[in-house]
Amino acid sequence: MSDNPILSVRDVRKTYGGVEVLKGVSFDLERGQSKIVIGPSGTGKSTLLRCINLLSPPDSGNVVLDGVTVEERGINQIRAQIGFVFQEFNLFTHLRVLDNVRLAQRNVLGRSKQEATRRAMEELERVGLSDKLEAYPAELSGGQKQRASIARALAMDPKLILFDEPTSALDPELTGEVVQVMKDLANAGMTMLVVSHEMGFARAAADEVIFMEGGVIVEQGPPSTLFTCPEHARTSQFLRMISHEHQEA
Amino acid sequence: MLEFIEFGKTWMPFLLEGVGVTLGLWVVAMVLGFCLALLLVWGRVYAAKPIYLFATAYVEVFRGTPMLVQLFFIYLGLPEIGIVLAPFTAAAVAIGLNTAAYQAEYFRGAIQSLPAGQMVAARAMGMSRFQALRDIILPQAGRRVIPQWSNEAIVELKYTSIAYAIGLTELTARAEQVGYQTFQFLEAFTLVAIIYLVLTGIVAQSLDFLERKTRIPGLTYTGGKME
Ligand SMILES: Nc1ncnc2c1ncn2[C@@H]1O[C@H](COP(=O)(O)OP(=O)(O)O)[C@@H](O)[C@H]1O
Ligand SMILES: [Mg+2]
Repeated sequence: MSDNPILSVRDVRKTYGGVEVLKGVSFDLERGQSKIVIGPSGTGKSTLLRCINLLSPPDSGNVVLDGVTVEERGINQIRAQIGFVFQEFNLFTHLRVLDNVRLAQRNVLGRSKQEATRRAMEELERVGLSDKLEAYPAELSGGQKQRASIARALAMDPKLILFDEPTSALDPELTGEVVQVMKDLANAGMTMLVVSHEMGFARAAADEVIFMEGGVIVEQGPPSTLFTCPEHARTSQFLRMISHEHQEA
Repeated sequence: MLEFIEFGKTWMPFLLEGVGVTLGLWVVAMVLGFCLALLLVWGRVYAAKPIYLFATAYVEVFRGTPMLVQLFFIYLGLPEIGIVLAPFTAAAVAIGLNTAAYQAEYFRGAIQSLPAGQMVAARAMGMSRFQALRDIILPQAGRRVIPQWSNEAIVELKYTSIAYAIGLTELTARAEQVGYQTFQFLEAFTLVAIIYLVLTGIVAQSLDFLERKTRIPGLTYTGGKME
C-alpha cells in the first residue's frame, strides 16, 4: 500500500517519580517486520511497549500507527489494532479458552457471535489449541496459556503485536512451543515487536535486533551483524552475559 | 417431649406469621444493602478522592457504631427533623444501611484479590473500563464473594430481631408474646430458636449450592488459599 512504516516511534520519553526511564527512544517498524528488543532488566523495555499503546502515556514524543498519531482520543479503537502479549499471560480466569478469544472481538470490534467464534477457532487452530476450546485457563499448562493469549491477540486482526517477555514465566521445557508459534507468525508476515532474550527466535525470525540500556537504544541492526560483531562494548558485554546465563540454564 | 410437640402445634401458626415479617424485613434490607454496597465499593475502589473519602467515612461510621443505636437514631431521632418512618420501614432502612457497609467491604476484598493483569489485558485490547468491570471484574469478584456474603446474609437474618426494640411484631416479638400468654418461656424461645436455625440453615445451604454451581477452576477462594 505505502512505504510508510506501520509503526513509528519518535523521541519517546517517560519519567517515573523523577527518574527518566525512557530518554528519547526512536525507531520504525515496517509492515511485516519483526524486531526484537533486548537489554538488561529495568532498562525501560516494558515501559516502551506500554508507551506505544498508551497503557503508560509517554511524557513527550509521539507514536504513529499506520499514519495515525496514537493519542487519548479514540484510544480504544487504536488499541484494538495493537496486540499485546504479556509475560504473565493475563487470560481471563472465569472464561473458557474460546470465550477468552471471543470477548474483545465482541466488545471492541462489535463482531457477531458467529463471526467472533469463527475467528477464534481459526486462531486457536493456528496455535494448536483446537482441542482446548472448553478448557479454563487454570486447566492449561503455561505454554498452552501463552499460546491461547497469542490467539486472543491475533483474533483482533491487529496491525502489529507487542510481546513482553512471552517466555519468561515458562518452565524451560515449555518455551519451545511458544517460540515455534512466534516464528511461524513472523514467517507468515505478522508485524511484531518482541521484548525477549530468546536467541532462537532472534536468529531465526527477527529482522532486526534493538539493544536498549538505560532508557536509550544503544544500537540496532540485523541479528547476524549485531550478534557477531556489535559496535558497542556494552552490547557485546550484555551478549556475553546472556549467552552465559543460557548455558547455565 | 409430647407436651412440647403439642405446644408447637398450638403456637406454630402464630409464630409463622412473624416469620413473614422477619423474612420480608431481611429481604428488603439485604437488597437495599446490596445496591448501596455497589455504590460504596465503586467509591472505595474506583472513584475520585472526595467520593472515596465519603464512602470510607460511611463504612467506618456504620461498622463502628451499634446497630441498635443506628435503629433508634432513625426511628426515634429523625422525627425531630420531620422524617417519620413506620417501624418496618425504619428497621429495613437501618439494617440495609448497616449491611451495605459490610457488604461493600467484602466486595472490595474480592475485587482487590483479583490479579491486576486481567484489567490491563482487557484495556490493552481496547475494552473500556466499564466493559472490563462488567465482563471481567464483576463475574470474578461476584463468585469469590459468595462465602462471605452468605455469612453476612445470615448475620443480618438474625439481626432483624432488633426491630423488636421499636415495636415491630416480627418473629422474636411473637415468641415473647407466646411466653407471656402461656408462661412457657422456655418452650416459646426453644421453638423460635429452632425456626431461626431452619431459616439460617436454608440460606447457608442455598448459597453454598450457588457457590458450588458457579465454581470455576482457578478462581474460587477457599479459606484464603487459591485453588
Ligand atoms: N508504573 C511504574 N511506576 C513507577 N516506576 C516504574 C513503573 N513502571 C516501571 N517503572 C520503573 O521503570 C524502570 C524500567 O522498568 P521496565 O520498563 O519494566 O524495565 P524492563 O522491562 O526493561 O525490565 C524500572 O526502574 C521500574 O522500576
Ligand atoms: Mg519488563
